[in-house]
Order: sequence, then structure tokens, then C-alpha cells
Amino acid sequence: MLAISVAVPVAWVFMASLKQNSEFYESPWKLPEGFNFKNFTDAWYDANMGTYFINSVFVTLMAIAILLAVALPCAYVLSRFSFRGRGIIKALFMGGLFINVSYIVVPIFLMLVGLNRSLQVTFFLNNHFVLALVYASTALPFTIYLLQSYFATLPRAYEEAAYVDGCSPFRTMLQIMVPMARPSIITVILFNFLSFWNEYIIALTFMTDDVMKTLPVGLMNLMKAQNAAAQYGKMYAGLVIVMLPTLILYILVQKKLTEGMTVGGIKG
Amino acid sequence: MKTSKSFLFFCTFPALALFLIFMAYPTISVFVMSLYKWGGYSAAKTFVGLNNFRALMEDDRFIGSFRNSVILLVLVSIVTLFLALWCANALTREKIRAKGLFRVIFYIPNILSAVVIAAIFSAIYDPSRGLANSLLSLVGIEPVMWLGNRSVVIYSIAIAMIWQATGYYMVMYMSSMSAVPHSLYEAADIEGASRKTKFFSVTLPLIWTNVRTTLTFFIISSINISFLLVRAMTGGGPDGASEVFLSYMYEQAYTNSSYGYGMAIGVVIFVFSFALSALVNLATRREIVEL
Amino acid sequence: MKKIISIILCAFICLSALASCRNRNADNNSSATLKVAVLESAYGSEMWEKVCDEFEKVSEDVNVELTADKNLEDVIGSKMKGGDYPDVVHLATGREAALTETMIKEGALTDLSDVLDMKVPGEEVTVSEKIIPGFTDTLATNPYQNKKTYLAPMFYSPCGLFYDANLLREKGWELPTTWDEMWALGDKAMAEGIYLFTYPTAGYFDAFIYSLLASSGGVDFYNDVMNYREGVWDTSEAKAVLDIVAKLKDYTEPTTVANSTGDNYLKNQQLVLDGKAIFMPNGTWVVEEMADAPRADGFEWGFTALPAIKDDRYSFTFFEQCWIPQEAKNKEAAREFVAFLYSDKAAQIFAEYGAVQPILNMTDKLSEENKLFYSVYENGAKAVMGGFAATEAVEGVSIYNTLFEAVNSIMTGDKTVDQWRSEIISVSDKLRNNLK
Repeated sequence: MLAISVAVPVAWVFMASLKQNSEFYESPWKLPEGFNFKNFTDAWYDANMGTYFINSVFVTLMAIAILLAVALPCAYVLSRFSFRGRGIIKALFMGGLFINVSYIVVPIFLMLVGLNRSLQVTFFLNNHFVLALVYASTALPFTIYLLQSYFATLPRAYEEAAYVDGCSPFRTMLQIMVPMARPSIITVILFNFLSFWNEYIIALTFMTDDVMKTLPVGLMNLMKAQNAAAQYGKMYAGLVIVMLPTLILYILVQKKLTEGMTVGGIKG
Repeated sequence: MKTSKSFLFFCTFPALALFLIFMAYPTISVFVMSLYKWGGYSAAKTFVGLNNFRALMEDDRFIGSFRNSVILLVLVSIVTLFLALWCANALTREKIRAKGLFRVIFYIPNILSAVVIAAIFSAIYDPSRGLANSLLSLVGIEPVMWLGNRSVVIYSIAIAMIWQATGYYMVMYMSSMSAVPHSLYEAADIEGASRKTKFFSVTLPLIWTNVRTTLTFFIISSINISFLLVRAMTGGGPDGASEVFLSYMYEQAYTNSSYGYGMAIGVVIFVFSFALSALVNLATRREIVEL
Repeated sequence: MKKIISIILCAFICLSALASCRNRNADNNSSATLKVAVLESAYGSEMWEKVCDEFEKVSEDVNVELTADKNLEDVIGSKMKGGDYPDVVHLATGREAALTETMIKEGALTDLSDVLDMKVPGEEVTVSEKIIPGFTDTLATNPYQNKKTYLAPMFYSPCGLFYDANLLREKGWELPTTWDEMWALGDKAMAEGIYLFTYPTAGYFDAFIYSLLASSGGVDFYNDVMNYREGVWDTSEAKAVLDIVAKLKDYTEPTTVANSTGDNYLKNQQLVLDGKAIFMPNGTWVVEEMADAPRADGFEWGFTALPAIKDDRYSFTFFEQCWIPQEAKNKEAAREFVAFLYSDKAAQIFAEYGAVQPILNMTDKLSEENKLFYSVYENGAKAVMGGFAATEAVEGVSIYNTLFEAVNSIMTGDKTVDQWRSEIISVSDKLRNNLK
């Protein structure tokens, strides 16, 4: 019963993406009259979704790479070692969980504008790398939190053995602990992929050049604008284009996912 | 464990630096801006002290958005929590075929964008030919104006949020439930415990830390998701009846040329969610069951 | 696992190298580039491309860089915050994002009064000689009441009630000219299961209420309201307007409010096409907007001014606006461009796409359907123009919400007329103290 309540509406979106414009004025539950794949080609080529797609892939992958490179060591150290300032750093990241992107986006933007101006460059805006960096930063609190609680569940025996063997802390982390945290890393990748892929507000503010836009921003151009004729078929085709990669990724990793989400889970 | 300072430094510094630059600093400037009157474009910024906060107290629309946010927070969290626990328990403990399929299907709403969810629900809530009213008419109930009635609209949004979130938390609970050792259930079986007792005296205590953590997630995500859904489904209407925290912040900061005022709302959201989850954390503290 | 990490690291390095390549094509601003940003509305963006091409022909040293977008506020809003301003912006007030209103409140527009005295490029007449009298002395063009024009009037369109002319003909119903006739028609129609009224969103009540105000108390009264004059909402003229809206509640199709939010407002417009409701307040764009929609047999668009409260009937003239930001780099060329928008050539191109410039002798060049709409003023209705006077931003206070959005609450019975009126009075009081 519950499964149906989910499956039906989703099937509905796919159905809608195959309809012709005039069919949208009829009952929303009617099956499409034919397979109107033109919606997809229109969205992909005319509405530039192809370019935006590549941009999105690029930004999302880069952001995830940065995020992992930065968050893994930090989470590891925070969960395994006690040192001065650890409490403060932990508290900072915990507090960071409550910061909402919606209100910090303008301050970040103004900061980047200021950098551009004082350094006489245009580097900081319309730059996929900067966008990815900001994405990674905003995801840090949650990611570190997740990884940290997973690291905390891992037994210490392995590390101690590595130390006895004279392994450096860096190698211990990279070769022993990180592989053990794999389920949790997969979870982190999936969660952040979803949020980066669908992110709209930051991308809209930072990417003002048309060729630099990402998929969710491009999708807005397909949306219904007030007082203008609607292009529903194209819009739903665009929505499906945005949705498919996340769906595929989820199906691929869903088995691993359950292992990795023991947030603050049971101590082993 | 002891280790060299430089290792600790290299591990924490990049994360800390990014965090301070792109999260902490902007947040501080939000706090600062909340003390100013500024339209958002011109250079004219006037320091007004706590005036923005004082004005908030008297702003009926803000109070309405506050109330709506709290209703959604409480209602959605509680219902989602129960539904997710129940489904997770059923899927891990019971022998159900095609478990993987269920796991995929339940999670799907979580990866849909708010626009898709809004489109789906506007087809469901359509007053004359929507799914919801068609079902009601089968049992002979008068059609309900799901999005048109001021006192119903916020619950209509709550339903969409619950639909969206249940799968996510279910997957989360499933992961910790599957880590509960099987031997405990076998022991319970020998003692002849019912399903209910097994759930309340074995499963729930063991995943309690997990449940507690998700309570914080509920607070954070409900504020966020309610905004995305409200913006796509009703735009805060009719007549502001479904306005929530962030949607009202947006309206003030960007369309009413009151950026400073909007940021004051941002500060309230931050402090509110922070304090609430600290409170929830305290209230749900139990002795952790160690194995 | 090691492999995964090294792959990620490699990918990371490659990607960042790529990223820096991709950003090298930064635009170099030459002084002869004119940045024009326009809202892509129902008329489409093609006409703008053509007009820009024509402008480049007239003034050869200028190179126009056109940005046309349905969500123009999102595109130029953040650019402007970052100091990158377009030279000319075509974007009307009354939009949801209210960017133009913000610019007015911020005093961030260039005075265009001298453009009115300029010669239209390629022609021998001045701009003010071409513009229909009245268009450049409204609050929508001169927001600060100092006789200076800051916003150039663009594409105008009469607003009023749209209906199915065929439906009325078949039923033998007369078009009402007074509200008494209107209610009588409502009772007749309700008896046949047809509702008298629907509206797309509460926002459409702006033109509706503006027209009613003028009909109830005349143009001077209307201007008093727009300037938040004290006590104006206590008058019987103002009360009559609010009472009419409240009475409409009993004649409004019951699903209207539910469909008035989000994208569902098309369903309300559909009610008129399907013959389930007779009238809706709207603008001429609705024809294009509903072009694909199915309709009742023999459906034929009809358009009328609002019925009269006292003697005169009024039709609010909605028009879009074009402005030059204070921070624009290339103001000279920008002025030229704005003047060019009133040339016969530009007006002709706009008209081909259904957009009508407020210049004299345009009505003969319109399509048949448009002639019907634009002839409303020749058929006895008077024009009323301009919206509320500009004020400083007042936190949490918006006349738009209190006067128009509140109509939804009137229609659901959640607010009484008295509550509505007292809220309008309190908002008017607050805004009056902050008039620019």
C-alpha cells in the first residue's frame, strides 16, 4: 500500500514527460496519447540541458572529491585522538549543522565579489571550482558528523597493531582506517551527490554566465513563467533528465547504504 | 593515542579553514546585517540596533510563519518517526520478498526535486478531479479544498513532507536495526516475547542513539524542506496561510527590499533550531545500552 | 580502496585544471557595448533580438549585448549585487520578485526626463511627441512625484474582464454595465449552474481594484489612495469598492481559491474557457497563455471594462517599464536605445508579436483580436494608470499583501470586510510616513 503511494506518483512524472502540451489540460491521471520523445530532444538541445548536464556532472564530482579529501582526515582525527581544541572544533562543526544555506548565500557571494574587486580578477565568480569548493564547505558539518560517528564504532585494535609495526599515522589512516570506513564513505557520497546535484540557490547566485549554469538552474528556464504559454512536456522531460542519474546511482549503491548509516549507532 | 602535532594540524586545518571561510564568516555577517536597515542594492546601510527584532515581534505574518514552521516540525517529525520505525522494523524483521525493491521505492521521494513533488501533489489535491477528493467522494465526504482552505493548507503540506521524508529515515533505521545481533531476538523468542515486546524492549533501546540523532536531522531538514515545498506548491498562500520561516525570510529580504530584516529572521531561525535541538537532546538522554 | 582514492585525487587534479581553462573566456568590456536585459514574457524574446539588430543599424558604433530571460530577476539580481549592472533593463513593477520596486525604493534609477525630449533615432520627432499623452505622468513612470520620469512606459494593455462572448450570446444575456446589472446576471447564471466570477490569482485584483477605485471616486480620489492620503479608506467611495469585492464571494466559483496558488491558476482561467464561470479579471496576454487549452464549442474571447459604480466605467491600463540603472556604465547609448524603442520600426516589430507600444496611431496596425481589446477606451471606458507611490522599505509591511493577497481570505470567509479595511488603513498609515 505504501509502496504504491510512492510508485504511482513517480510513474506519473515519467508519463507526463511523454505528453504533448495540449494533453496537460485534460485530466492529470490520463495516460499519454503517444510516446512524445520530442520533449526530451527539445529539452536536451533547445533548452541547453546537454551543456548544463555536463556542468553539473563536473561540479558535483569535483565537490565530492574536495569534500572527501578534506573531511575524511578531519573526521578521523576528531574521533580518534584527544588534543587541545578538539572540543571546540567538534562544537563548531556541530553548530554548523544548523546553518542554512539560504541565508548565507548572499554573504558568501558578496565576499567573492569583494575578492574579485580587490584582486582585480573575475576568477571567483562563474567558476565551477569555486562553486564546488563552496558546496564541499557547506556539506562539511554533516559529512564530518557522519564519518566521525562511524569511525568511533571501529575497533582500535587495528590501529594499535599498525603502530606496533611502526606505521606512520598518515599511512595508518589512509591504508587501514579509510578502507574500513568504506560503507560510511559510500553513504556520504550518495547523500552529498543528491544535495549537490539538486542544489539550486548557490548555483543560481554564483553562475551568471549562461554556459556555466548547472542543471537545476537550467531547469528553471523550462518552468512555467507567469503570463507566458507553458511548455509542460519539455519541463517534465527536463525533470526526468535531472532525476535519472540520482535514481541510477541510488539503485547501484542502495545495498551498501544500509551498512554505512549507523549514525551514532551501536558500539561494537 | 599520542601522535605528532603536525599530523593533527594537517588533518584538521583544511576542513577548519573551509568551514571558517564559507560557513562561519558568512554566518557572522548575517548576524551583523540583522542589525542594519539595507535594501540589498544601494550603498545606504543604516545601523538600527535591535529594531529589526523588535519589528518581528509585532509582525503578524512572521508570527504566522513561526507557528506554521512549528506545526510542521512537530507533526512531520512525529508521524515520520513512527512510520519510518514501523516500516524499518517490518522490513528488517519480517520475511518479506523483494526487500531490495521496497528499499529502492521508498527512498525515491527523497531524491525527487521539490518541483516534481509539488506537481505530483497539485494533481492529488486538485479540488475537482484530484485523487484525494475522488477517494473522499467514494466514502461520501464533501470535497476538501486542500490548498485553498486556510486551516487545511498547512496539513496538506505536512502530508507531502511526510511522504517525502519517510523513506529516508526508514533506510537510516534499517541500517542500525540490521546491526542488532540476531541472538538477542532468538533469546527473546525462547522467552516467548511478542513482536511488540521485541520491538520495544530489544530493538528500540538498541537503536536509541540513532533515533536521537535523527531528531536533530528532523529539525534541520523540516525547516529546509518545508521551504522548498511551500515555495513550489503554494508560494506561501492563500494570503500567507502557508508561509514558513525561510519563505518569509525570502519574501522580506528579496521582494520587500528589507534585506536586514530578512537576515534578522535568519538569525531567529538559526537560534531557534539550535536551541530546540539542544533541548530535544537533553530531554531524550537515556542510558546508552552497551553490549 | 587505495585505488579509489588515487583515482579521486587524479580526477580532482584533472578537473581543477579543466576548471581553470573553462574560465579563461572572461568577457572584455569595450565601451561601445550596450548591455540590454529584458524580461522574456508572453511575447517571447525574438522581437527583442530583431529590435536590437535594428538599433545596431541606426547607431553603428554600438554593439548590443542582449540578455532575455523568463526569470530575469534571478539572472541580473545577483550580477547587480556584484556591481555588474546592465545599461538598459526592461522589467515591469508588480512582478513577484519586485526587483523594479526595490530599485525605486533604493533610488537606484537614472532620471529619464531628458530622453523624452530626445529625437527618436532615425526619425524627426521627439519621444514625448510620440508617446500617448498621460503615459509619462503617472506614478508608474514618475514614482517620486517630482515631475521627473524614471521609468519609460512600454507595452500597454487594457485590463478588465475577459469572458466567452459566444456564451453570453447563446444565453441571450446582456453585458452588464453597472454592478446592479452584474449581480442580476450573476443570479440568472447561478440558476443555470454557471458561476459569475473567477480569478487567476489574488494578484490580479490589483488592476481590478484600481479600476473600481477610479470608478467609485474619480481620478483624483484614485490618486489620493495611491498616495496613502489620510482617511481615504474611511470614505464611502473606498468602502463601496471593498464591499463589491466582498459581495463577489457569493458569485465566485468555489475552487478558485484552492487553485489560486502555485502554478494551478491556469485551472481558474480554464473555468472561463469551459463555460463554468463567466468573468475573470485578466490582461491581453491571457489569449496567448491559454492558446493550447481546450475550450467550449464556439468559444470566442470577449473583453469589457469593469461595470460602473457611479457614472463612469474605467479600465486600468497596465504597462511594462523600461529603466536605466544609476550604475549603468554606458548611459549615453542607453538613452539612445530607450528613445529608439519608440521608433516606428521598433513599434512595428513589437506589434508583430502582440506587444503594443504606447505611441500614437498604433491601434490601426493591430491584429483583429487585439483591436477588440484596445478599442475598449473608444467604447466609453476611461483609462486609469499607475500604481502606489514609492516609499522607503518598511519591514514586514506590504500594501500588496494587505490589499490584494487578502482577497483570498475574503473569498474563503476568513476575513470580514471590516478586518480587511482596518488592516489596509494601518498599512497605509505606516507607508505614508515613509513616502519618498
